[in-house]
Amino acid sequence: MKSMVKAAALAAASTVALAAPSAADEVNVAFFLEWATPNLIAKTTGDYADSMGVDVNWVDFTTGTAMTEAMLAGDIDISYSQGLAPFVTAIQQGAPLKMIGIAVVYEANDCFVRNELGIDGSNASELEGKTVAVPLNTMADFAFRSYMTHYGVDISTMNIVDQAPPDGAKSLADGAVDMACLFGGIASAAGAEVGTPIMTSEEKVAAGIGSFDVVSVTEKFATENPELVKAFMDATEEANQAYTGSAEQIAALAEASGMSPENSKAQIDGFIIPTAAEQLEQFFGPNGIAASAAASLGLVFQNDSDGAMIAKTIDGSFLE
Amino acid sequence: MFEWMSDNRASIAAVLIILIFIAFVWSIVVGRRQARLTANDEVFGDPVRTKGGWYWAVTGVSALLLVWFYFSWGLGRAYFPDAANEMCQCAKLEEAVSPIKAALPIGSRYYKSTLLASRNSAQLDDLLGKLPGTVFTDAEKAELEEIINQIRDLIANSSNPENMVQETRDELVGLAARLDDVSVTLDAGPGDMTPTSEALAQPRWGTTFTEIPILPITSRGMLFDSASVEAAEIASAFNKVRNRFPENDQLIEGIKARINALKATNAAGTFDEKVAEERVDYVKAVERIFKRLDDGLIFPAAALQDINTAISGLDGAASRAKGGLRAVDAVFFPGAGIVKSKTQCTEQGSARWLPKPTDVVATFARLANPDLENGGGYRGFPLLWWDWMPVSGYVAFFIPDWIADVWPGEYASHGPDGTITPNFKDKLLAFAQGDVNLGYVPMLDGHIWDSLFRVIVALALGIFLGVPLGLFMGVSRFFKSFFDPLIELYRPVPPLAWAPLILTIFGIQDDGKIFLLFMVAFAIMVISARTGASGVQLSKIRASHSLGASDRQIMWNVILPNALPEILTGIRIAVGVCWGTLVAAEMLAGTTGVGFIENIARTVSDYELIWVTILIMGILGLVFDLVMRWIIKKTIPWRGMG
Repeated sequence: MKSMVKAAALAAASTVALAAPSAADEVNVAFFLEWATPNLIAKTTGDYADSMGVDVNWVDFTTGTAMTEAMLAGDIDISYSQGLAPFVTAIQQGAPLKMIGIAVVYEANDCFVRNELGIDGSNASELEGKTVAVPLNTMADFAFRSYMTHYGVDISTMNIVDQAPPDGAKSLADGAVDMACLFGGIASAAGAEVGTPIMTSEEKVAAGIGSFDVVSVTEKFATENPELVKAFMDATEEANQAYTGSAEQIAALAEASGMSPENSKAQIDGFIIPTAAEQLEQFFGPNGIAASAAASLGLVFQNDSDGAMIAKTIDGSFLE
Repeated sequence: MFEWMSDNRASIAAVLIILIFIAFVWSIVVGRRQARLTANDEVFGDPVRTKGGWYWAVTGVSALLLVWFYFSWGLGRAYFPDAANEMCQCAKLEEAVSPIKAALPIGSRYYKSTLLASRNSAQLDDLLGKLPGTVFTDAEKAELEEIINQIRDLIANSSNPENMVQETRDELVGLAARLDDVSVTLDAGPGDMTPTSEALAQPRWGTTFTEIPILPITSRGMLFDSASVEAAEIASAFNKVRNRFPENDQLIEGIKARINALKATNAAGTFDEKVAEERVDYVKAVERIFKRLDDGLIFPAAALQDINTAISGLDGAASRAKGGLRAVDAVFFPGAGIVKSKTQCTEQGSARWLPKPTDVVATFARLANPDLENGGGYRGFPLLWWDWMPVSGYVAFFIPDWIADVWPGEYASHGPDGTITPNFKDKLLAFAQGDVNLGYVPMLDGHIWDSLFRVIVALALGIFLGVPLGLFMGVSRFFKSFFDPLIELYRPVPPLAWAPLILTIFGIQDDGKIFLLFMVAFAIMVISARTGASGVQLSKIRASHSLGASDRQIMWNVILPNALPEILTGIRIAVGVCWGTLVAAEMLAGTTGVGFIENIARTVSDYELIWVTILIMGILGLVFDLVMRWIIKKTIPWRGMG
């Protein structure tokens, strides 16, 4: 019993220590390696630190969920290019975060149909009754549902198997599943070997199915240091505008993102980087994409999700 | 009934906690009394000493439950069901004043203005030191130095209280007075404030997806809620206050013009590339610092004194108004308390990842509800239930489709009128595929059953193949030498390492998952049976041999019974390891199962669901183990008596 009290006291003491607020002498920013966003060039040149006037620590993460955890622990103030899925999950768990910008817009993850089946958009209803590998509760899951809704395919008739992308690609190649929804370069390439995307890039754009990564920030940091958040968004905008795709920039980008120049170039060519004005107009305006996508994603994760609740955490004011 | 229990889970927990506490104390009393009774008759190390003692099990379980209740805030919720709501209102006030606090040395060491002044001054010094001599002309260098000095003046002017215009002073004094008013309101107490009916109609704490009701449901909560509204207005007014005065305005205009002139010279572009770049960068750096200082964010420390005092006063008043809530918070809610985010109040600290026992039970009950239409089950599949399964499905499982293919003749094709008349070959195929009605049998169904089925089948296979092999390895030179390297090579490999292979070999059906579990169970069974067989006393075997026993009789009547203790212990270990591997197995291609639920819950950090699956697996493992202990007691009563 005594040790229990001691443990409780220790726990209390440690949380007090964690909760001690830090003066914003430095800003901790989370980002992804191997994710070639143009602002990584500004990260390397120190432009962020210059325009914000404080030291900027860039910490690389491997998942958006880890970014959320670090933000909750107070180690990270701003997450750059957090996936929409982990952001929505965090909000649903009541994490005090807000979405303040769109980092990149990219093509939605593909669902590959096995070539032997000869199914494409025109006869997509034949997918009913088939087996599909989907990494549940990810952006690929969201894309899968968007495609099926678009083609009017009844998901309840399908046999949905939860598989991580590499496993899904393998099952597709083995013929164990008829369609596999995948993300990640290697898994998608493997899927493309034996299957065909159910929707082409042009069709996806036409149907308005896409993914985007967000810039998220802790509520605490946003209320206490609005000028730093604003400066961060300005610096990002400046970096995005300065990106021309020159060989020199690609080299810098490759270095910053830890990829080869060719891969960096291929990746960034697939990105659409909306300007601040475009973000305000398309994503953060009334009926903006940010709120509607977050709300429908929320429904995928939790059936009793409240879309209006997620919308409250979306704030485009730092872009103005 | 379930609804009522779910809504009143806090009160139920309150009763439960008392009962658990009584059980805890009582079991210790009984245990100590029993220990005294037997203290003189027992010898240390005697296995009999571990017999009985169920009261200590009660102590252990109730202690665990009490710790769980405490750290999950279940204890706090049981006896202070409104505390979270009140703490949420306090958190609202905290959130409302946080922009003001950020400007003050509260929670940080310095005024924000102090930091701005010192940081930017240091950066100006730095910049001046880096003034590139070669790319600027002497006149330009003098100009830049002048600009930097003027920016320094900007900081100095802002920091001087005498420069402040009366208007700004009045604004700050006014805000401080308004903050004092909020303190007075807090000190005055809630008075006759009553919560709105809308607030009272909110679902209770923890009963829905939104954990803590956000509207105030007590008069104290009302007080804090209204204070937070007022404080938020003050904070937003405070954020708009700028320290502007004519002297600085002129200075700012002047600096702006000078920087623009330099930028124009740069833009004219008469320099070579390298020089131009350096010039642009330097001017940009100067401008950046200037931009941070041109909006009047630096206030003299003295000017913020009133606000600082008012905020301290407000903190004091809030702390007084909280009253007993502070003690409750400190004692019953371990962790960082309750944090208000944009949309909801959430529990922080251990309660964030440790759901309350009653909530776990409620989530389990919701999942266990077989009524799928009304929100029961998980992802359209019950947890554990039964269903009418067509017999044809089992027939189809055993009769392969190719029997129909090899049957002589051709499958029917549609006739000229578009109808199909099935021939015998078609009917055989339908039979082999299970497309016939052979009646229905009741069968268990659901996530738990699917997991259970996989574990049981894998265990059974592991025992029936592993035990004979192990026994033979224990008695035969050939078996030992032939299989030893094979088994020992694969045994240490973690099951997850096989996963990618298994997916390719077996596909996504149950057989792959079962095989993965089988591999784990098999190795353990072989090793334990072999150890058991090779450990049989030679004298027993020789005795039976000399009494004329055949090899078969020696195996059945001497070696097997003597190896049984090892084998049964092996089964116990295998059961545990199988449950441990289940989550990995069901990650391969998740369709159903407890591990599947856990894998999905993990992606959305649904801690309640994660704990439910942990408990289900723990309890199933415990049940298996109890069954094994009973079997051990029945089959090898001599164990430990030799």
